[in-house]
Amino acid sequence: MKEYILLMFSAALVNNVILGRFLGLCPTMGVTTRLDAAVGMGMATTFVMTVAAIAGWTANTFLLTPFDLGYLRTITFILIIASTVQFTELVVKKVSPSLFQLLGIYLPLITTNCAVLGIALLLVDAKMSILTSVLFAIGSAMGFSLVLVMFAGLRERLAVMDVPRLFAGPPIAFIVVSLLALAFMGFSGMGAS
Amino acid sequence: MDEFAHSTQDFSAPAMVEGIAQVVKIEGKTAWLVPEQGSSCGSCASASACGSKGVGTTASRLENRRFRINNDANLAVGERVVFGIRDNVLLKASIAAYAIPLASLLLAGSLAQWKFGSDLITMGAMIAGLVIGLGVSRLEARRLYTRGDLAPLFLRRARPGETCSS
Repeated sequence: MKEYILLMFSAALVNNVILGRFLGLCPTMGVTTRLDAAVGMGMATTFVMTVAAIAGWTANTFLLTPFDLGYLRTITFILIIASTVQFTELVVKKVSPSLFQLLGIYLPLITTNCAVLGIALLLVDAKMSILTSVLFAIGSAMGFSLVLVMFAGLRERLAVMDVPRLFAGPPIAFIVVSLLALAFMGFSGMGAS
Repeated sequence: MDEFAHSTQDFSAPAMVEGIAQVVKIEGKTAWLVPEQGSSCGSCASASACGSKGVGTTASRLENRRFRINNDANLAVGERVVFGIRDNVLLKASIAAYAIPLASLLLAGSLAQWKFGSDLITMGAMIAGLVIGLGVSRLEARRLYTRGDLAPLFLRRARPGETCSS
């Protein structure tokens, strides 16, 4: 049990997907202008990342590895992620059209989120079991959502600040995210002890 | 600094997430609206190179998100209006759509791994857990809809040139 908790803690904070691995920077800058958008995107990414991790693990274990098709891994995973996003969109629409109206706008953006592909490839390289793969994916996605929400909160405050014109908009946002990355470096090494 | 000291914004009022939509159809006392493109997708500096365009056109996606409101304000086709949803609705909707199926998936997978210790059985249990979770999610979404939590509210007519980000 302890190793599972450490795995999720490490994936969420120590090796944070945005601030530690520098993946998923496009949604980090694109959907963090409003807190509600960051929450919607974070939850949608968590769902897709987890389902894609299961599908990727299955494809790798039962198809790519036995038939020695490792060279097709990246393109297979891209296909899996795109299919997962479409599947999620269909399911949310079927489960509740009202929910789809509220949350549907975030789903297509996940197709091009490199964090989802990055985590799927990392899982395969680490040769994890299915349960640890899922826990690692959920931990990474929680870290991703945490940073999105924190950053959105900071940007909402920045929007009403008197920022010098030279730094207004994306420049000050990049400076803030770099300071966040420095703060997250404080977690370095915690997973190993 | 003085701007903040003299701010009159009422932070105790229920916060609303606002959006702009155009009336496309009137049916008796019901108005059908299509939301305008938000600031989060398609209107950024890299819109021309964005891969999400390939999944479907922005227009078709917005058309899919058509919704209706009560036409108490006598709206006409072509009018632009500001609508709102309560701030906590998005969180409730996200929990209903994503968190419930994920929790169910994880619970089923953990139990299967603990009981049988086989990756194949765990994977099957996770898929079963996901399906059950989606069923529960559907019930929760229906409950939220029945209570009217997910319904957008008409706030006012949009000013000429008003956009989501203005």
